[in-house]
Amino acid sequence: MNLRVVGANLVVSIKIFYREKTAMFFTTTFPILLILVFGTIFMDRDKVSFNLCVQDLDQTETSAEIAKTLALTGKFKITRVDPAIDATQYAKNNKVNIVLIIPKDYERSYTQYLQFDDPNAFVTITYVYDPSSSSVVAKMQILDMVFARMNQGLSGKPSFVRTAEISIHTREYRFVEFFIPGIIAMAVMTASLFGTVNVNTELRQKGIIRKLSTTPITHTDWILSNILYQFILAVISTTAMLVVSYAVFDVKLRINAWLPLFIVLDVFTFVGIGMILTRIVKEAQSATAAANAIMFPMMFLSGSFFPLEMMPGFLQKFARTLPLYYVNEGLRASMVFNDNLTALSYSAIIGTFAAMVFIVGIMATKWEEGT
Amino acid sequence: MTTEVEHAIEVENLKKLYGNLVAVDDISFNVRQGEVFAFLGPNGAGKTTTVEIVDTIRRPTSGKVRVLGMDVRKEKRDIVPRIGVLPQGFSSFDRITVRETMQYYSRLFCLRNADIDGLMDLVNLKDKAKEQYMKLSGGLKQRLGIAIALVNNPEVVFLDEPTTGLDPRARREVWEVLLGLKKEGKTVFLTTHYMEEAELLADTVAIISRGKIIAMDSPAQLIESNADNLVLTLHPVDEKAFEVVWKMGFEPVLNNHKNINVRVERTDDIRKILNALKDAGASLLSMDVRKPNLEQVFLKLTGEALNDGASGEKGVE
Repeated sequence: MNLRVVGANLVVSIKIFYREKTAMFFTTTFPILLILVFGTIFMDRDKVSFNLCVQDLDQTETSAEIAKTLALTGKFKITRVDPAIDATQYAKNNKVNIVLIIPKDYERSYTQYLQFDDPNAFVTITYVYDPSSSSVVAKMQILDMVFARMNQGLSGKPSFVRTAEISIHTREYRFVEFFIPGIIAMAVMTASLFGTVNVNTELRQKGIIRKLSTTPITHTDWILSNILYQFILAVISTTAMLVVSYAVFDVKLRINAWLPLFIVLDVFTFVGIGMILTRIVKEAQSATAAANAIMFPMMFLSGSFFPLEMMPGFLQKFARTLPLYYVNEGLRASMVFNDNLTALSYSAIIGTFAAMVFIVGIMATKWEEGT
Repeated sequence: MTTEVEHAIEVENLKKLYGNLVAVDDISFNVRQGEVFAFLGPNGAGKTTTVEIVDTIRRPTSGKVRVLGMDVRKEKRDIVPRIGVLPQGFSSFDRITVRETMQYYSRLFCLRNADIDGLMDLVNLKDKAKEQYMKLSGGLKQRLGIAIALVNNPEVVFLDEPTTGLDPRARREVWEVLLGLKKEGKTVFLTTHYMEEAELLADTVAIISRGKIIAMDSPAQLIESNADNLVLTLHPVDEKAFEVVWKMGFEPVLNNHKNINVRVERTDDIRKILNALKDAGASLLSMDVRKPNLEQVFLKLTGEALNDGASGEKGVE
């Protein structure tokens, strides 16, 4: 390895990056946009508030209490529906996935149940709903839970089975905090993989690699300078993502030595994979397609966006074979949960993988043409 | 340590196959120290494959290739710092300036005192030092490529079709640079399909066709030993001249413009014809003598025109 040669390559790469304004723009703004978009989507995941349409056919003070009780749970924003119109038609016309109908004799039945202790007195609350909607099941489950509590309260007896929640973490974490390390890992992976594949196929097609093969630069110098360059870009984009995360979402993440270590390992792994891909796939377009084929499973199956628990069992097992999983979980362990032991074990796994890929990448890099 | 060897390049029974396609077919040649050696041939003849094997870009299928006494297969790392290469279709980093590109390549060779200004002067690029590569014209890009090939002050310079695709003016500018290299006494291995380029620059020309060297000598000697007779064209005042030449034993041909073409073997024959015409009182309006060139040599040896490709046959450069 020749540091002067590595440095020369690095300087040229940085100059090209600085002069390619669009590349610079996308390197810094794309991860920020990801953080803003997904952060906004997931920011209030812990305090979900659904829209709920309520049609009160009884129009009494007692029936109005139901809507108030539902609003007080904090889970619903209530929209009142005119009792004169057809609820099904209303749902269709207004693209509403659920309308809750309080029946006409609600107050009378309520009085009969409470004051006369009539066991046959009851009311039926109707859900007019769209079964094709993905969120309607969650709404109905919450409504069932609220009405079960109301029934239990009306019975006059305290609950026998009660529940208590104890978090294993010293403080409560927000979903956005869980999400940001995953986005950092993913953004670094994407930039390293595509940066390597695009630059190398372009240089090969332009004949620059052929010219470089007649200079003393070695494959190790070349890959190391690629890794250093991608690391610098990763530091820039990670810094931008963290600044936005702190400023916009007020996250509380631990920034320590694990962060640069996992970024380095992320870069090593995916620059190495990019080098191997460049050897296997010669044309720029095919190389991009191959990079996509690697990137998408990593992006969606390694837990960057969603917790693995949300996936079927076999996919969870598959996720553990993906290198990005160990970067995601290692970063979360260090940045969110302050779990150094997990960070250490995951860094060892991804470090071993990165070393293997790096060596194969050097062996796969070939500048001489034909055999 | 630099070792003096008589031949800068030695190629023995070189063969290169791409699958079943024979790109270079058992060729042998030597390039002396300090000479300009040109590979002349049409597209697809095997010029680039050969030069890329010799300058270490490609690996041979079989045969021995030594550069400065070193084996290209085993001693690439020792050869590379001592050679300079302008590959075919040279290109560089679009957004890097001329000076930065020169500095970049000098750093790859770990040179602290590369004479970048001197090289830019040599190729007449000093006023473009701050221009980005993407903004240079084709001729300027080629000149930069030559300057880069010289950045490590190489003992042998490989220039693969340095003027292809350039307009005549740009081509002449590149030739001037190459003539400068020749004056400096550099060993230059040049490939070209322009016969005037080979004729102007080369000490030795190897004519290659379909992977084989079919003739190799100095341009003058190639022409001398392979070209057809000189062609004397006479524009006579009357028909008497035709009869005079005919009676001398030559085979004059009268063309549509009433000019007489006569093939002669030696320049002495021209003098004899002119004397005979004078003695017979056959006046001439004008006359000219066409000298054969490498184009005609190539046509004679291969049956193909030099710039038409290999008779439409698919070849590998």
